[in-house]
Amino acid sequence: MNRAEYPAPLRSLIAELKRLPGIGSRSAERIALWMVQSPDSHPESLARAIECVKREIQPCERCGFFSEANLCPLCLDTSRDPLLLCIVEQPTDILPLERSGAFRGFYHALGGKISPLDHVGPESLRIPALLQRLREHPPHEVILALGADVEGEATSHYLGDMLREFPLKVTRLAQGLPAGTGLEYADELTLSRALSGRTSLAAHP
Amino acid sequence: MLSQLKVGQFRCFEKFEARFEPGINLIVGPNAHGKTSLLEAACLLLRLQSPRTSRLGEIIRHNERGLLVDGHFKAAHLQFYYSPQRKKLALDSVEQRTASEYLKLGRVVWFSNQDVELVREGADVRRRFIDFVASQIDPSYRKALRDYEKCLRSRNLLLKAPVPRWREIQAFEEPLVTAGEQLIKSRHALITALRPLAQLAHANISGAREKLHLEYLPNAAAPLAEALAAARPEDTRLRMTTAGPHRDDLQLLLGPAPATLGSEGQQRTLVLSLRLSAARLLEAHHAEPPLLLLDDIFGELDLSRRAALLEQLPKNAQQIITTTRREWLPPELQAHVLDLESR
Repeated sequence: MNRAEYPAPLRSLIAELKRLPGIGSRSAERIALWMVQSPDSHPESLARAIECVKREIQPCERCGFFSEANLCPLCLDTSRDPLLLCIVEQPTDILPLERSGAFRGFYHALGGKISPLDHVGPESLRIPALLQRLREHPPHEVILALGADVEGEATSHYLGDMLREFPLKVTRLAQGLPAGTGLEYADELTLSRALSGRTSLAAHP
Repeated sequence: MLSQLKVGQFRCFEKFEARFEPGINLIVGPNAHGKTSLLEAACLLLRLQSPRTSRLGEIIRHNERGLLVDGHFKAAHLQFYYSPQRKKLALDSVEQRTASEYLKLGRVVWFSNQDVELVREGADVRRRFIDFVASQIDPSYRKALRDYEKCLRSRNLLLKAPVPRWREIQAFEEPLVTAGEQLIKSRHALITALRPLAQLAHANISGAREKLHLEYLPNAAAPLAEALAAARPEDTRLRMTTAGPHRDDLQLLLGPAPATLGSEGQQRTLVLSLRLSAARLLEAHHAEPPLLLLDDIFGELDLSRRAALLEQLPKNAQQIITTTRREWLPPELQAHVLDLESR
């Protein structure tokens, strides 16, 4: 006697879903069954959305953010300050900075960080595009908003070294206390970085 | 105090549960019944590392996916799951994103019958001892050590490229120096603090004529950045990082002579003193004695040293002691006994 199995189309959907990040066998099976059974599943519109996103979305050729055209709305926004350029690791890092509302300049996403242990060298990052941008439209200040881990630090130093030949100011994000909390909630490392990066009160320059 | 310890798929145990009492706990049983593994589990539960290996994958029971240690320490419920794919830790059933709160709970000092390696083997054994104690004194030590090791592996890989990639190497030297300087500073402070405690313990156990001396031997004599720069020709030739705290050592002297020249008995007394000094320091630093795990160390000691050691252990520390024979411990010793023989 053969063991009962799902029919082939259902099996192939489960197999496809399992390839998605964060989806294991159980979840893949649940989603596939829901697709088949639920009156609300609308598989055509999901299929269209998936096709469309792959067709319509490309990285902005200037900053690397997700875009429907060659240039994204951020890069086309003429009300932004062209003298400020903020460098981030991933295009997804742009959104939290935008939501903060504190930055009104332009962005450049590297697409990663230098990580020899993961076989990522500077040649796999968008550094040539950055250098070309700096030559064509030199900003006054480049802000390095990379991660505070070992690879983020190393990438910051690498870029800092590389940008020395440009007549511009290179800064990096401060590290310190999270807003709205007391000292008792900060871990030792954050506190010691906050101490070493302390600033003068405005009245005592 | 560790009151309960459960292990799952841990070394020889599929599942095992032990209860412990305040004061002295004896785990008695023949060899290969998992006495040491239980101590190791207690250490892993509190410190998330094993004193026996740096590769936790080795501890997982054969052909199983992951191990679990679960226990109650003081009022807290600790859980740690480890598989090569994922690590999970929980404090009172709340999953922890980082280990920092979890590791604040308890400290451990491990005494083992293999400890004489501290005298006889290479510097890496002594560095592991230093790192294990230092990360229980200074919570930021663990991160500095990890950062340093990551930078070091990255730098070594870049040195091994067909043409060494100096611009990248230099970029990694910045975080390497930051983490490395912190290690050097912490190790220096640690050994300065351990020295008098170890000397006192040593005098008390051995009544020795010769004095124990500990000396930190940092590999980089100058500031680390300068040492790295000076070692570049050598690093280029050997394609690896030759200067830095990954080559530090702890020098052990008995009187004027290196401890390696001492007798078997002298060496055993020395390493006991070293472990005791760690226990004393942790007790003083946290105003609470660490959990003491003593793995089968009484067999090697003569009667007077056994008594002296028991005398020297911090008085109100909880102790878990493994032994193959109950009679190796003084009969008057008040202890809670866990018999593994009947398992």
